[in-house]
This record gives sequence, C-alpha cells and structure tokens, in this order.
Amino acid sequence: MKKKILVANRGEIAIRIMRAIQELDYEAVAVYETPDKDSRHIRLASEAVLLGDGPRCDYLNIEKIIKAAKRTGACAIHPGYGFLAENPDFAKACEDAGIIFIGPTSEVISNLGNKVIARRIMAEAGIPMVPGTPNLSAGEDGVQEALTFAGKYDYPIMLKATCGGGGRGIRLIESDEQMRKEIPVARSEAKAAFNDESVYLEKVVINPKHVEVQIIADKEGATIHLGTRDCSIQRRNQKLIEIAPSMIGDKELLEKICQTAVKAAKASNYTNAGTVEFLIDKDFNYYFMEINTRVQVEHTVTEMITGIDIVRTQIKLALGKPLSFTQDDIQLRGHAIEMRINAEDPQTDFMPEGGKTVSVYRSPGGYGVRLDGFVYQGYTIPQVYDSLLVKLTVHGFSWNETVSRVRRCLQNFDIAGPKTTIPFYLNIVQDPDFIKGDFNTSFLDTHPQLFEYKETPNEAEKLSKLIAEIHHRGTNAYAF
Amino acid sequence: MERIIQGMAPSEVVAQLRKADGYYITNTARDLSQSDFKNRILLHTDMLAAPSRERAGYFSLEITGGASIHVDILRKQVDPFLKLQLLREKMPNTMFQTLCRGVNLFGYRPYPQNVIRFTVREFAKYVDVWRTFDFMNHIPNMQAVFEEVAKAGKINEPCICFSTGPEHTDDFYIKKVKDILDVTGTDIILCIKNHGGLGSPQRIGQLVDAIKQSYPDLPIHYHGHNTDGNDIGRIAAAVINGASIVDASDSSMTGYYGPAPSLTVIQTLKELGYKAVGIDEDAVIETSEVIRDQRQYYAAFESQIKGFQPTVQIHKLPGGAMGSSLEQAAKGGFLDKMPDILHKELPRVQKELGNYWSVTPGSQILWTTAVANVQGGERYGNPSGDLRNLLLGKYGPFPFYQPEEWIYEKVLGTDWKKVLEQEGGMDEIEDMDLEHERTTLSEKIGVEPTDQQLVLYLQHPNDAVNFFKFEEEFGKVYVLPPSIFLHQGKFNVGSTLSFTDHYGKEHVIEIGPSMVNEHNGESNVYLNVDHHQRIYAFAPEAKAGVAAAATVLSKEEIQALAKNGDIRAPFAGNICEISVKEGQEVAAGEQVAMMEAMKMQTPVVSAIAGIVTTISVKVGDAIKPGAKIAKVDIDE
Repeated sequence: MKKKILVANRGEIAIRIMRAIQELDYEAVAVYETPDKDSRHIRLASEAVLLGDGPRCDYLNIEKIIKAAKRTGACAIHPGYGFLAENPDFAKACEDAGIIFIGPTSEVISNLGNKVIARRIMAEAGIPMVPGTPNLSAGEDGVQEALTFAGKYDYPIMLKATCGGGGRGIRLIESDEQMRKEIPVARSEAKAAFNDESVYLEKVVINPKHVEVQIIADKEGATIHLGTRDCSIQRRNQKLIEIAPSMIGDKELLEKICQTAVKAAKASNYTNAGTVEFLIDKDFNYYFMEINTRVQVEHTVTEMITGIDIVRTQIKLALGKPLSFTQDDIQLRGHAIEMRINAEDPQTDFMPEGGKTVSVYRSPGGYGVRLDGFVYQGYTIPQVYDSLLVKLTVHGFSWNETVSRVRRCLQNFDIAGPKTTIPFYLNIVQDPDFIKGDFNTSFLDTHPQLFEYKETPNEAEKLSKLIAEIHHRGTNAYAF
Repeated sequence: MERIIQGMAPSEVVAQLRKADGYYITNTARDLSQSDFKNRILLHTDMLAAPSRERAGYFSLEITGGASIHVDILRKQVDPFLKLQLLREKMPNTMFQTLCRGVNLFGYRPYPQNVIRFTVREFAKYVDVWRTFDFMNHIPNMQAVFEEVAKAGKINEPCICFSTGPEHTDDFYIKKVKDILDVTGTDIILCIKNHGGLGSPQRIGQLVDAIKQSYPDLPIHYHGHNTDGNDIGRIAAAVINGASIVDASDSSMTGYYGPAPSLTVIQTLKELGYKAVGIDEDAVIETSEVIRDQRQYYAAFESQIKGFQPTVQIHKLPGGAMGSSLEQAAKGGFLDKMPDILHKELPRVQKELGNYWSVTPGSQILWTTAVANVQGGERYGNPSGDLRNLLLGKYGPFPFYQPEEWIYEKVLGTDWKKVLEQEGGMDEIEDMDLEHERTTLSEKIGVEPTDQQLVLYLQHPNDAVNFFKFEEEFGKVYVLPPSIFLHQGKFNVGSTLSFTDHYGKEHVIEIGPSMVNEHNGESNVYLNVDHHQRIYAFAPEAKAGVAAAATVLSKEEIQALAKNGDIRAPFAGNICEISVKEGQEVAAGEQVAMMEAMKMQTPVVSAIAGIVTTISVKVGDAIKPGAKIAKVDIDE
C-alpha cells in the first residue's frame, strides 16, 4: 500500500504540498471544514476528511486532525503554514501518536516560538540581535524595567507579545506615558490571543529591510542555506511581495547573513526546513529577528532560483532521509519575484472581497512563470478564511527581465468578480524605486501614489456590459 | 480627369466644376439620416456602405454637421471626429461635406467667435466642403466660418436659404448672392438650400437660371428634399438650367422627407442628355444592396406617418424637422391636431413672424409657437425664450418685414417698446476663456482633454461629458451593428452576437439566463463573453435620470401651485439650467430654471417673491409636466 500523508491545511499551500506528495508517489489526504467544501484541495487529494463546520476552529483542532490521520492511516502530517504549523502542542501530539510531523521537533518549535527563549539561545550563539529585554516582570516592576530599557535605548520601542508572530501582538511605543498605558493592554490582548500574557521589548530598527534565509537541516546535523529572500514590501507587517535573492549589492554581506542563519539553526538544533529572519538597517547592520519553523508562503522564490523543491525535501527529511545535496551543490541562478494575488481592494485599505464569486479566471503562463493557486472560474471565495487566491512567482535571468515578466503576467491575468491586488501590483512593478531594487519596509508608506489607479475593464467586457444592459432593459437607453 | 478627388485645392475644384460636361452628385447620407431616421443611422452602417460609396464617384459625401454631431454623442455614442477618421480610411478619394449653421454652428444658439473659429479649425481637418447657412440669410452670421474654412484651404459652399411667397423673388436672392460673393470671393460653390423641398420644378429652374444669368461662372449646388415626392423634378430643372451639383442619396434607405434616390436622378437626367460626371452606376446600386437589410433595425426611427406630404408647400417644415416634429406630436398625444397645426396655424404664424426661412433654428421657433398657440389656447400666450430673442433681433434683422405690434406686445409685454429699445439688436457675444473651459473639462473627466474633446464640450457641455464617461464605461460602441445597438426587447437566450472591436479583436457573446437575486432584488444577466461567463448586475428598476416622475398635472393645477411658490414644469422637457441656489431670494417673475424641449429653451419663473427653499431637479433631468422644479417660500 502506498504511504499516505495528511495535509493539515487548506487553499494553495495544501495543493502545493499535495503536488510534492504525489510526485513522491504517495497518497495525499485532505481535511476540510464545511465552508471549504468547494475547495480544489479536496478534489486533488486521494481522500478527504470533513473535520467539522468550522470556520477556522476545526483546522486548529489537534484532536480531530490526529483522529483523521489515524482513521485514514496517514503516517505523516504536513501542517503547511498558519493554523497549527508552529504549534508545538500539535507537533507533540503527532509525536505521541506515532505520526511523523513534517517539520522540526516540538521542542525546537516550542523554544523558537517563545521569543525570549529564542533570543537567549541566539545570544549564547553570538548571533547579532536588536537590543531587547527578557519577559517583563508582572505589574509595576515590569513597567520600571521597560522605562529603564527605554532610557538606555530611546524610543521608538516595540512592545511584543512573547508568543505572538505573523505581525500579530506587536505595538510601537513612542513615550514613557504610552509605555505605561500600553503594557497592561498588550498583556490582556496577548492573554486573549495566545493564552500567554508575556510581553517583552525590542529597540525599533527604523525602516529596515526584511531579509530572511531559507535553511534546511537533516537529523544527522547537516545544515545548509538556500540563499536570501527580501520580504520588505509589506502592509501592516503582512508580506505582499517577496524576492530572491536580496537586492543588496554587497555579496559578502549576504554570504555573512546566510552563514549566521546556518549558525542560528545549528544553535537551536534545527531540523527540516525553516526560515531565519533578519532586519537590516540603513547602515547595513543586520539583526536576528526570529526563526519561522514552517514552510513559508514565499518559499517558491527560493525554489525558482535554486532548483530545490523545498516541500519535497521537507517530506524526505521528515521520513528520515539525509540531505541529498550539500551547500556546494546550491547555486543561485537569476532572480525570482512572488506576488500574492489576494481578493482584496487595496484602495479601501485592503478590504477583503470574500463572499464574491470568481466569474472569470484566466491566468498567465509561459516561460519562467509559476502559479500556486486554488481558485477556479465559478469559485465563491469563503468569507471566513484568508484572501489569497493565487501566488504568482516568476523567474528571470536578470532583475530587469524578471520585473518585466512579472508585469506581463499581471497584465495577462483576467479575474472578474472580486477586486484583487493586481492593479496595485501593476503600479508597483512600474515604480522607479522598485525597478531599481530600492525598497524597505516603509515602501508602501512612502509611495502613496501606488494606490492611485483606475481599474479598466477590457473592451470586450465594456461592450458586453452595454449588451447586458440592452438585454436587461429591453432597449438601449443610450440610443432612444 | 473628370472625377473630383479629395485633396484638390478649392480653386481647382471650382475650375473643374465650371468646365464639366454634365453634373455631379453629392450623397447626402447625413440629411437622409436626419430627415428619415431621426439622425440615428449608425457609423456601422456608413462603414458597410463606405467601399461602394467610395467607388460610386460622388462629388462629396455629406456625413457630418447639422444635428448629427449632437446626436452622434447623445444617442449614437460615437465620437464625431473618430467617425470621420474611420470613414476617411475607407474613403480616401471622396470629399466629406458638412452642414454648418453659421454662428449657430451645429447647435441652436449663437456661439462666441473664438468657439466658432476653434470648432471650424478642428473639423476642417476632416471636412472638405463646408455648406454654411443662416436661417435669416444674414451674411455676417456666416462670416467667421467662411474665413476659417478659407484659411484651412477647404471649400466654402455658402447657402441662400430658399422659400416661397411673394417676397421670395429672384431679385432678392440675386442680391443675397452678391452679398455673399462680396465677402467670400469667387472660388466658392453656391448652394440653393431648399430644405423644405418647396416650390415647383419650374420655380427652381427659374431661380437657377436667374443666378446663372448674373453669375455665369458660379457653380451652383442644388439641395432639396423629397417631402412632396417631386424633388426629382426640381433636381432635373436645376441641372437643365445650369446647376453643377445636386443632392441625392442611396435608394434603399430613402424615405419621405429626405433626399431623392440618386439612381432615379441619374436615370432621369440621362434620358434628358445630362451625364452624371464620375459616377459609377454599378457602385451606386451596390451601395443600396449592401445596406438594404440594415433598414429593418432602424424601423423605430422612421416617421410615424407614412407617405409623401405635398402639403409641405403649405406648412413649409424642413425635411430635417419633419420626423422630430411628428415624433413630438405622437409622444405629446396631439397627432390628431396635426392638420390644424400644419395646415392652418403654422402658415399663419409664418406670415405673422415675417415669412423668414423655416430652417434650424427658425423652424423650431415657428413649430413651437404654432404648437403652443394650438395647445395653449391663447395665441402667443406662452412664448418661448427663443421667440422672444427672435423678436428682439438676437438672430439678425427680419429679412422682409417685422411682425405686427400686437405680437411684440404679447411676447415682450406691455412695455415692449422700451424692452425692444433696451434689449433689442444682436449681441456682441464675448469670447470664451478656452483655457478655463479646458481646465473645467479636465476636472470633469479626470484627464487632460484633447482639442477635439474640448470642441465637443464647447458645443454641448453636459452631453459631451456624459459621452466621454459613456465611452469609458462601455468602450467604442460604434462597432455594434444596429441589430444589437438598437435592439428592442430582450435577446433570445442562447443567441450569439459577434462583432469586431475597435482594436480589431473578434468577440462572441452568447446570451445566458437572467436571474433576480432574492436578497437585494438585483437582476443578474449572465453572458458568455468569448467563452467565459460574465455576470452583470442591475439594481432594481429605479428610473435613472428621471427626477420626480410625478403624475402629470394640468396647466390649471400647475398655475395654482405656482401661486403658492410650488414651481412645476409647465411642459415635458429637460432642465438645461438652474438659475438659482437654495436659500437665494427671488423676485416675482425671476427665472429659476431654464427648460428645453424640441431644442427650444424656455425660462421657468417664480410667480411670487420669496426665498428658494428646495430645488428638486438637476441639470440634465428629463421631467414631465407638473414635476417639481423648486419651492419658493414667502420671506417673512
């Protein structure tokens, strides 16, 4: 009987993982909540298990997922990103149930998921870090610790939930007064969101570049990196566009960052695939931020420039195989850009367009183009999940070629029904600073003109709109 | 070479006409469209006809001007400039001709000099022959156009508007020709503009002969209408007496009020020994065949009354106004009163108002006045703003005699002499600040307008902006055939429509089902556009653009309400101006809005003094009699 692997996720990443499973000639088991019953990840799987009516709670229900794996006879679970991907309890539950968790061990996830422990490990390993505090003590003591830290490093300072992540549970503090006010608020929010009220402080690096390194480690201790990615173009700390490799011209610096990432991974006994995130300030000082213990949304850009199938590698490593390539085998070729085509309206603060039906879906193709999506014509976007429709990843020999390819692909998309981020991205790829490769995390704030665009339907759509109106009214009100 | 080709200098063209052995034909497709199809013949049909019309060898194709520019943007949703460009590509050799109303250009009221010159300059890039007239035959009203046409190196074709009656003598017209030639010089073509199709063949023959006797070298272009069914007779008489060019159009589309069929002209004159120069008869026939089956889609725009109207000799309505007048009568529910209006009141009004030429905008004044006189009870009791302007001499001096004093008194009031003294005479219209207008337009449409867009905007500010917005929303719709664009009723579900868009791409649209969304009442129309489903949602029927579609009130009810400051629409029409703001004080008799119907503007006044508290309409609204316009409260 073929091996079965359960994919504990939905949407495009579930499909991405199933493709790797199928290429390894295993069988993929899908799980889903009721609002996802029309999702294509279910159709692609060999079998599917309805977890419950959800929404979102069943994808997070460890017990139900373990049960689904057992019932279907899956020997391993790939968690994807989000949901339970970085939940050490889930990894632990898999381990306890004798199911292979595709990712690092629950202990590693737990250590790296705790910002304070992670900082301690990195500090011991000599990894450069943004100045910060351990968990603040409770009550007035914690406030005093915070004010002392502020006195030493000056504002602005970031107040972070120890168990936060993905842009959640962080707030910018600019004065003592605000610090006093926000600490208790942050604590109660952290308690509600993560069931842990620990918070700590970090000095803010102003308008940094966000550069991360893909690392892979096997159980025998071989740890290598797959180069850098730049994820600076974000809105509200959520990544929109990712690029590989980083556009920083100083190749030695990038190599140093990659070596630091490997060191960080080793220091935390990392296995499987992960991402070491760094902030780089305007003077090109780099600081360790965190290690993400999952496959990243943006892993595709690394795959494009290295030729390494990261998800396939993840599965093989989890099943106990050693790395089949060494650092010397990794060559970075050309450039890759990934854009997240979301069903959102950038002009109304990225208001999600959930609930709408995709009445037309035509996608680009051709040389150097990769699509990771799950949307199809006739699909109604559920309101209860995220708004990612499809990831467009392009690869090109030179940066210019890559930018023009991504522009062409955006123009070739034809999506009717929901508004998407496509016209906004079209503005970005035509922005002189973007074309120069010159951007940091303040890019959207400093380029407000990117939000100025008019969506122009094509001529056929315009003419058919008139025909629809003539048909609807039974007369052409513009002619009579 | 006999055929006159686009691009020849005016002097060459005139020289060729002088020595030609035979006569030329102008295809007045524009006048046919205006007279018999309410101006709705689409560019799509003209494009179908273009290759054979090009081969047919006409002197010119009248394809723009008159009311067509307004209707192009208002009802055909086509850019009048783009139309000329596209036709030019298919018709490189044929001269394009326009009909220009002098100071009134392609509209109904005088424009400032700089607007006239700017407009003529832009259109002269595409238009070779400029037929220009003034309904009062007042030459100064045409001068700016003459000058700009000459500067552009295009051909001036000034008109003498023709009518019948004791004053309309050969001597009068010969004097007018002299006045024209004094202004234009001799390298012109003279048009006898018989817009009503008036007079007998004998009369037209006489007039052509008389002009030829005085000006043997002056090429004459006879323009007629077939309203009485006898324009062929007049055309033949004109050619026999020396006219160089005559007007006719494609037989398969000819109706009752427009031009005569060109093939009939050719056949008739051939027997009489006159040759149609440059004409390829096969191509003339082919044109009619090519567009014949398009006619069915224009049925809604053909005349309500079928048959020729020899009584035009009595009422003298121009062919171009017949269709719209009858349509107004049908819509207004007074078709039964047409014999009274046409055969009794209109000739009477014509005589009373000076027996000038019944052509735009003068014909509209006559018609509106006659209708008001019959419908309103009291003659001249409800004068339009334009009639007032006519009496004040704003359009030019009366050519023969002035109306009697009692009419002045009715229209201008008891102190009419003082009014006439103070306000009478032609106004010096101030130049417009074109750069200011350009900025205003660019604010309205959100992009820097082209010169051509500005020209259209200066002619028809509201309608041009609406058209630009329409094009942005619906694209270049001239590619749609009349079977789609003018379709009546729903398309059959499952039927397939195909066309090629402006950018050369073929499209196939299959009509799918329509469904009503029970939650919000929206109708969803499903179309398969190029094999992909598109859904178009329409809000539940709310009459867009129709403000206060209230019940129709009687005249008495409207007057009673007016005394309480409740100002209602006195007739069906469009709001073209709102003259007051909410909170503004008004005097009794002060204008609060301007309404337009049948191209004639009429002020709506407040019956009482007070403060405007509510304005219920906006510019562009189409309203019914009795619809709320504004509320004036007595100031306490």
